[in-house]
Amino acid sequence: MFDPFYCNYLNRNTQILKYHVSNYFLFQISTNVQEVREVTRIERIGAHSHIRGLGLNDSLEPRNVSQGMVGQLMARRAAGVILEMIKESKIAGRAILLAGQPGTGKTAIAMGMAQALGLDTPFTSMAGSEIYSLEMSKTEALTQAIRKSIGVRIKEETEIIEGEVVEIQVDRPATGIGVKVGKLTLKTTEMETIYDLGNKMIDCLMKEKVQAGDVITIDKATGKINRLGRSFTRARDYDATGSQTRFVQCPEGELQKRKEVVHTVTLHEVDVINSRTHGFLALFSGDTGEIKSEVRDQINAKVAEWREEGKAEIVPGVLFIDEVHMLDIECFSFLNRALENEMAPVVIMATNRGITRIRGTHYKSPHGIPIDLLDRAIIVPTSPYQEKELKEILKIRCEEEDCEMTDDALTVLTRIASETSLRYAIQLITTASLVSRRRKTTEVSIDDVKRVYSLFLDENRSTQFLKEYQDDFMFNEFYFSLTWLEYIILILFVNRRLGVHRSDHDDNAKNDGPKSPHACLAAVGSCQVVIEENPLKIIILRKSFKNNKSALVYRGPKQMKTLAASGETVE
Amino acid sequence: MTSDSWLKIIQNARKTAVIEDGKRKVHFLMEDGKEMVEEYSTDTNVVVRRAWKQKNGFGTNIGWMVEVGDPELKQNNIEIYGIEESSNTVFNFLLQPIITRRITKASLEWRIRNLSYPESVYSITAEHDGTMTVRTSNKKYFKKIKIPDLERIGLKPEQERISFRHQYNTLIITYKKPPQLLDVEKKILAAVLQLKTDSKDVQCPTS
Repeated sequence: MFDPFYCNYLNRNTQILKYHVSNYFLFQISTNVQEVREVTRIERIGAHSHIRGLGLNDSLEPRNVSQGMVGQLMARRAAGVILEMIKESKIAGRAILLAGQPGTGKTAIAMGMAQALGLDTPFTSMAGSEIYSLEMSKTEALTQAIRKSIGVRIKEETEIIEGEVVEIQVDRPATGIGVKVGKLTLKTTEMETIYDLGNKMIDCLMKEKVQAGDVITIDKATGKINRLGRSFTRARDYDATGSQTRFVQCPEGELQKRKEVVHTVTLHEVDVINSRTHGFLALFSGDTGEIKSEVRDQINAKVAEWREEGKAEIVPGVLFIDEVHMLDIECFSFLNRALENEMAPVVIMATNRGITRIRGTHYKSPHGIPIDLLDRAIIVPTSPYQEKELKEILKIRCEEEDCEMTDDALTVLTRIASETSLRYAIQLITTASLVSRRRKTTEVSIDDVKRVYSLFLDENRSTQFLKEYQDDFMFNEFYFSLTWLEYIILILFVNRRLGVHRSDHDDNAKNDGPKSPHACLAAVGSCQVVIEENPLKIIILRKSFKNNKSALVYRGPKQMKTLAASGETVE
Repeated sequence: MTSDSWLKIIQNARKTAVIEDGKRKVHFLMEDGKEMVEEYSTDTNVVVRRAWKQKNGFGTNIGWMVEVGDPELKQNNIEIYGIEESSNTVFNFLLQPIITRRITKASLEWRIRNLSYPESVYSITAEHDGTMTVRTSNKKYFKKIKIPDLERIGLKPEQERISFRHQYNTLIITYKKPPQLLDVEKKILAAVLQLKTDSKDVQCPTS
């Protein structure tokens, strides 16, 4: 009749539950105390985790080292001004371009702005390459990104129940399946009421492990349960409490209160919910597909209506496009148009390119961005860091990565950063700290830095190395010995010889191999071609290579396509 | 808000009236889009029912909120919301208290049913926030009651006008109407009585 399974399933806490086992026959079961395991919040450290804001004072003057930002004073000041512009949220559709060399803190400034804006203003961060997807057109991806950056603040009055749990009682049928019946007694300082519980609510309460003495709020409309803490009057119930247990006063007044809550949703979320083919579940799966423009038009009209009625407020946010030079000309012209819309967000772009080709055209333009878009943008330049600033940044990164470093090691690292790149130096922090930990010391010394510096190449040394030893690397000969034209001629020729069409390679073709090896020579011209019949092998030797070191080996028609990848050298 | 502004709202509202089942039913469409329905008894010319159309934040109808008169039967919401005041009929004392409002010629009345505690535990006070607060000394019941009639004409409840008695499991609170309210009601009634009620099949404007 009594199944211990219930015991484990339900009663994790030291709480006495009444089981409803046929004819109101009540059991009382007290169960084992569940071990309390502290779950520490695990945070991963990213490249810009140390940035907490723009590091400006109230008059928008940048402090030299603040909130994880170092140097770049002019750019930060400019970003501060832009921030004010966004906060006033009057002007929509401005474009800001952060331009500068690699590793000068463009992304850091954008992240700082995101942090400074806070959670209330939508901030969408994307990379220029993100728009290239096979499932979605480029403009759709951009439109979605733009609409993700516009928030709608909706005020709503909801009814919440707030009180201290006096008793929670769940009756379940003896068979284990069927409708559970539950009662929850809540009280405030002034009153006490018994509530009936539905099935869903019982599950929620069980999941939240609500027990007598907890102070909870229940949002009546959504059924969301929020545990505020334990009541002070129950503070002495247990000798041991977890460190995260909060003690709160028993609420006052009525149990049911009306509270005005403000939701901020993005236009994109409204779009997705209203696009009939997907429904709101698409929000979680991320598979939104294309949203019809009619849906968007309707939503725009509706939102405008709400705004006039004072029910909703538009919060234009920020769309940050990193590596903006990866966008192509279509996207740029789309952006031109989209920025003129009154619901457009502020678009911040970042690029590290100089005068370069605009993607999708043969034209060159500064930053790889067409002049007409550049004209609409405010350009904020970033400049390379000074050595002093590099040292500060490295110091901040050391702190962020929990790594103690001696002063001279830091000086060496700064030197490395100025000679090579800041990113490389930051990589060395992590690796050096690991090396020092192997030595069982807590502090990273100059030797550790030296060691990792010799272990890991920076970009300059790697290039140098390649230049010296390039002949020894794979595929090197192939690219240097055969031009692409020769390569194509060769493939066509071999095909012809083998009597195989390009479209159908099959194994039968192997049998009638080429007859005259010298014909190859004639066709390819500058190469000497040797053809071996078994296994089918075509060896092309460039005449220019005297030592016969480089050659291309081609085996059978099947490998035709992989020729470029599987070319081998023969001695 | 003063008594004048409320009068003005009523006067500017588009009104439709019909007499049915011995009640004069009047529909008000206010200039701000709110809708209200009042039912006057034809015998006594006292409001027996007043309800407001409720809309949620997105402008969708979510039914009527009954201010005066018997509340509409609620459907069982326990499966929708998952939580509800207990209405266990086996244990009578668990029945949840229900507030209904009535208006008589001289006073506003509240009846709180299913309150089984003795009369001595109740205390009712007029609060500064414009509500009347029902307290119980055994800490079992507490309710802040809004008085929309007074709120609309900018009055605060006064302690000396409140009286209450308890019988048949019901707490009856009576608030004697202040002269300003009587005056306003008289004027509104005059406006309502002028409305044509002859046509049987009228359509109320809704927007």
